[in-house]
Amino acid sequence: MTTTRSASSGHRVTWWQRLPLHAVVIAVVVLWSIPTLGLLVSSFREPSAIASSGWWQAFTHPDQLTLANYERVLGEQGMGRAFVNSLLITVPATVLVILVAAHAAYALAWMRFPARGLIFLVIVGLLVVPLETTLIPVLRLFSHTTIERELPLLGGNVFGTASYTGMWLAHAGYGLPFAVFLLRNFFVSLPRDLVEAAHLDGASDLQVFWRVILPLSLPAIAALAIFQFLWVWNDLLIALVLLGDPTLAPMTLKITNLVSSFGTSYQVLTAAAFLSMALPLVVFFAFQRFFVQGMLAGAVKG
Amino acid sequence: MAGIVFDRVTKAFGDSLAVREFSLEVVDGEFLVLVGPSGCGKSTTLRMLAGLDEITSGTISIGGREVNSVAAKDRDIAMVFQTYALYPHMSVFDNMAFGLKLRGVPRSDIQQRVQQAAALLGIEELLRRKPGQLSGGQRQRVALGRAIVREPAAFLLDEPLSNLDAKLRVQTRAEISRLHQRLGTTFVYVTHDQVEAMTMATRIAVMNEGVLQQVGSPQELYDRPTNVFVAGFIGSPAMNVFEGTVRREGERLVVAGDGLEVEVPPERADSFAPLEGRALTFGMRPEHIHDPAYVPAGIVPALLDADVDITELMGNETFLHLQRGSTALLARVDPRTGARAGSRTSVVMDLTHLRAFDAATGLAVPLEVPATV
Amino acid sequence: MIGRRWWTPWMWMTPALALVSVFLVYPSLDTLRRSLLDERSKAFVGLDNYRFIVENPQPLVADTHQALLTNALWLVVFTGLTVPFGLLLAVLTGRLRYEAASKSAIFIPMAVSFVAASVIWRFMLDFNPDIGTFNAIVTRVGGDPVAWLQDTGLGPVGGIGPLQLNNLMLMLIGVWMWTGFALVVLSAGLKGISSEVIEAARVDGATERQILFRIIIPILRPTIIVVTTTLLIYAMKIFDLVWVTTGGRFGTDVVSTLFFKQAFINRDFGVGAALAFILLAAVVPLMAISVRRFQAEEERA
Repeated sequence: MTTTRSASSGHRVTWWQRLPLHAVVIAVVVLWSIPTLGLLVSSFREPSAIASSGWWQAFTHPDQLTLANYERVLGEQGMGRAFVNSLLITVPATVLVILVAAHAAYALAWMRFPARGLIFLVIVGLLVVPLETTLIPVLRLFSHTTIERELPLLGGNVFGTASYTGMWLAHAGYGLPFAVFLLRNFFVSLPRDLVEAAHLDGASDLQVFWRVILPLSLPAIAALAIFQFLWVWNDLLIALVLLGDPTLAPMTLKITNLVSSFGTSYQVLTAAAFLSMALPLVVFFAFQRFFVQGMLAGAVKG
Repeated sequence: MAGIVFDRVTKAFGDSLAVREFSLEVVDGEFLVLVGPSGCGKSTTLRMLAGLDEITSGTISIGGREVNSVAAKDRDIAMVFQTYALYPHMSVFDNMAFGLKLRGVPRSDIQQRVQQAAALLGIEELLRRKPGQLSGGQRQRVALGRAIVREPAAFLLDEPLSNLDAKLRVQTRAEISRLHQRLGTTFVYVTHDQVEAMTMATRIAVMNEGVLQQVGSPQELYDRPTNVFVAGFIGSPAMNVFEGTVRREGERLVVAGDGLEVEVPPERADSFAPLEGRALTFGMRPEHIHDPAYVPAGIVPALLDADVDITELMGNETFLHLQRGSTALLARVDPRTGARAGSRTSVVMDLTHLRAFDAATGLAVPLEVPATV
Repeated sequence: MIGRRWWTPWMWMTPALALVSVFLVYPSLDTLRRSLLDERSKAFVGLDNYRFIVENPQPLVADTHQALLTNALWLVVFTGLTVPFGLLLAVLTGRLRYEAASKSAIFIPMAVSFVAASVIWRFMLDFNPDIGTFNAIVTRVGGDPVAWLQDTGLGPVGGIGPLQLNNLMLMLIGVWMWTGFALVVLSAGLKGISSEVIEAARVDGATERQILFRIIIPILRPTIIVVTTTLLIYAMKIFDLVWVTTGGRFGTDVVSTLFFKQAFINRDFGVGAALAFILLAAVVPLMAISVRRFQAEEERA
């Protein structure tokens, strides 16, 4: 790792020579943001306005703005419930994948046992499996193992199709290859003599794991949490195939149904879509730093 | 009783042997230093003692109990790592208390022991800080404190001074020695620096390429090295070494190297006669080569002429870098010497302290030279 | 470690191994099995399903050739646009003070679900120029509104195989979403290049273009390879985006959407499984490259 300034600074040029640079970048940023911006603005417009004039008109006709779309979506269309469902699916799935992956990653990083390298390779190699191709067998499995009893407090079945537990396990399973990859590489970068000192101090494997390794791995865990959170929150397919029960539907599923029933009635769609984006965007902005670090840990060494 | 016994301990990494049949008895309470160049196997030996690396063959016993398959934490030893290995997310106090907490020591005892150790090391004000806020020297003391607090049967130290700057190193050396005197516990100390070994050890074990070369007190190793490696490794500046033999020229005996010839004084002839004709490697420490005008009393002089290459004025003595034929010698002479760079000069070799080693095996050849007062 | 029992590591890994076996390994094996059986997974048919895919006898029911070609097009266009674009932006934004803000703005689409993205873009590309921004611009400049997502042609030329307007639009949406990823990763790699190398080149008289091609790109090669293989793998497996936006209609089918149709709609498990397995097999070499590249980095460090 070099210690000098980056490749792109320290070049003395006048400001007007840099104008094209600024122009290009700003143009790209604007272009990139327009689609999302268009959606956001439209979600606040009267239905009649949406259908008859472009969304940019909203800036010149502020009287068109309304919260009605959101009221309708949250109340009538059950998006509120869908939001809760999304949380109920996403949060435990994220916690579960972190716990399971961390334990496996610790063993792979710090314990010596036969076929260690091979197992790591296989787990990470499973990233090649296209998710949708696993759904039929998994669906079958779930159907055969469904426990029709109602899960207290949360709703849905205790296990199998139309159950939160099934979703948690499925998402954890699908998220493991990436999670194990990320965490194991991070663990390996921790100094070996730190682990040895802890063992000498009398720590068992579990104690080293919880008291030394985990506290020092918070950046990687945070990055993983964000990835998994976003991925599960934004998932459609797994919910579509494995859930089945509309009362348990997360936001992604809800919106797809809205699309099929409302087609081009954008007033509802835009508000619903933006609601589903709200939380991920907040998460993203709040934890930007970890995001970048996490991707680097996964994609580029160093 | 915490005597440590290494019995034919061997460590293999794949096909290569890092440590070969290492046998040594560490006496309870002594300060044993394992010294040798990089890669000689000293750290590996220490790690096997600590239980961090598996032993390929042989046994290690601590306090009479064989510990080959005993987990590191149950061996009643504490280790100070070269990089200190402090827990970055814990305060100094918690770093030191960690081991005790894990063993279920009551809170009040922990408090007392940590305070005591901190006082001993002079780090009481640092207890609330985190390692990241400390200097290198302070971190090292915390590492020592963490070990002391455990009250182990033996302390293992792996090159603890190598990350400190020169001045701090000298200071800390003395402190560690003082610590040893205070605590009286067995210290097993690994370093590549023979100065540390000489100044701190009660006994030194020299290793090279996985093999134990010699064990003994610092003075023993200095005066009577059992092979040419130990002779050249111990002592700074290093012993002068040159190949040669003992020749008879008519009446006289001559110690002859490449381009170098020193006549053996008649009083010493008996000692040198048995060596006649053997291929040898000779060794003479720089402090035993003198300026003829300032020879200490009682020396039986053997004269040698040589060219002075460079002189280094140290203040209390002068180093003469001499060249005779293809042999280079270093002499430590009285600072009043008249020798100048680029000139020829005479020096006196004190043959009482000439060491001879077999040229093939490197083993010391006994040279029965009666010592003068 | 001395004293650790042999079964300890396995205990630590059991939950992970179990989950992975159930949700990834078993289904893959089951898929392989089914690809050798008939539509109802009853009778053994050998390689018939694979032959079906290669020969494409029923293009109106399941156009396998079109799906394969479209997927190939995705590999080329999607990756071919995202990587250079990401690299260019990485170099450009690196010279600005508002670098972090601009990178964030470009990265945001990654946080958005495909469903929301599909709503966003259906909105942008709507045929009605009063709604769809693209068509609003087109009509403003005097043209006729374009059915961006349904159009199987390419303007006056007409489509060439999978090279259709709607496919290109879908790929553009993909670029919109993933440029941020390429940008962030390449930008991080860029920061690792010492500025002295660049300055020495400038002093030697190199133009910016030469610096980019002769210095920056060669040094960044490992990073570029990692980003490229990640995107290629993603392009191979592309599903959500296509499915939610066009449902694979109008010639936008890719292998995974075709699989979905076969498996869940046409109920032909045999062909479906064969498609899935082809997809899996095609991704494996890409994965191998990525992993080997990563291991090389590990050994070096």
